[in-house]
Amino acid sequence: MQPEPAWRLGSGTLIFAGVCLVIALVLLRLVLRERITLQGSMSYLSFLVVLGSMAVFPAQANWVATRLGFTLLSNFFFCTAIAMLAILHLRALVTLSKVQLRSVVLTQELAILSEKIERVEASQRGDYRAPRAQTP
Amino acid sequence: MRVLIIVPAFNEQEALGGLLGEIRGLSPAALGTELETVVVDDGSSDRTAEVARQGGARVLRLCGNLGIGGAVQSGLRLAARESFDYAVQIDGDGQHPPSELVHLLAAAKAAEKPDLIVGTRYHKQGDGFRSTLLRRLGSWWLRVLLRFVHVRVTDPTSGYRLYGPRALALFDETYPYDFPEPESLAVARAAGLRIAEVPVTMRERQGGRSSIAGFSTLYYMFKVTIAIALTYLRSRKRVAKENPTDAT
Repeated sequence: MQPEPAWRLGSGTLIFAGVCLVIALVLLRLVLRERITLQGSMSYLSFLVVLGSMAVFPAQANWVATRLGFTLLSNFFFCTAIAMLAILHLRALVTLSKVQLRSVVLTQELAILSEKIERVEASQRGDYRAPRAQTP
Repeated sequence: MRVLIIVPAFNEQEALGGLLGEIRGLSPAALGTELETVVVDDGSSDRTAEVARQGGARVLRLCGNLGIGGAVQSGLRLAARESFDYAVQIDGDGQHPPSELVHLLAAAKAAEKPDLIVGTRYHKQGDGFRSTLLRRLGSWWLRVLLRFVHVRVTDPTSGYRLYGPRALALFDETYPYDFPEPESLAVARAAGLRIAEVPVTMRERQGGRSSIAGFSTLYYMFKVTIAIALTYLRSRKRVAKENPTDAT
């Protein structure tokens, strides 16, 4: 009797595809509620689509894995997942750094503008305690 | 000549009052400049801003703690925006005696017109505060590193600095945020700025506590080493782009 191929579509793979689908739906719900942006979540959705496809089409995934030199489909799966998570993390890091730099500039601009407003208001009030330059 | 004195301060209520008093005691006529002082309150939780206002300084109050780099850059932005001729950084902990400002200004008026002048505590023999052995060792390492980017200074961690118009324009655009002193020297050199050094006397901090202590010292050295190496690579790339025939 021939052994059953490990990549055959079974309940395990269907459950995993279901989990991917649920996570994708949660993600879409968060987008609809404007908790996260669609642009920001696109890479995450793509990741779920790739993992879900590997679960639904194990034969095709196995074909690709064999061509890439993997002897076990599970190894291919883990390698793909780790690589994609690393890419997602890097992307998040880039976005975070951009936001951090912007927030620094905004904090500085806010402080400069607030000080300017305070000075204008103080001069309008004729406040003698307003800071003045030390002139020769 | 208009000079803006930038005092970055984070929880420095103890030292700040005395420091501002010393700044007020400076004679603009003797220095030949018009002086204005701005205290950059880097999100302090104590009375730093209040003490600064009482001391007659302008106050930039940052709504969050940006670190020393972000605080200094706020002052530099203000100086560039309000067309000051020079800006001088004096730390809010009182380590930099304002009376030493005269040496920085004299160097700024020299014929070579440096863009960035660093006050060094290691030129004068015997007098003044010299920090701990560990810090001096770190300072030696940074000096060696900075030589790779063609910066020759004896005190790369000194925050007592004078910024000329070109330095103000550069640092308005880009300034390192954490532990910025050595890195900013590399950035300035990579942008083709002239850097000079003058001997000054420093003293121990007059209050508060240093942000670099314990484990953060190791992080400081590690981060600054990487930052200077990256600046070196960036400057090589820039030189190669500007002079394609010289690139080897």
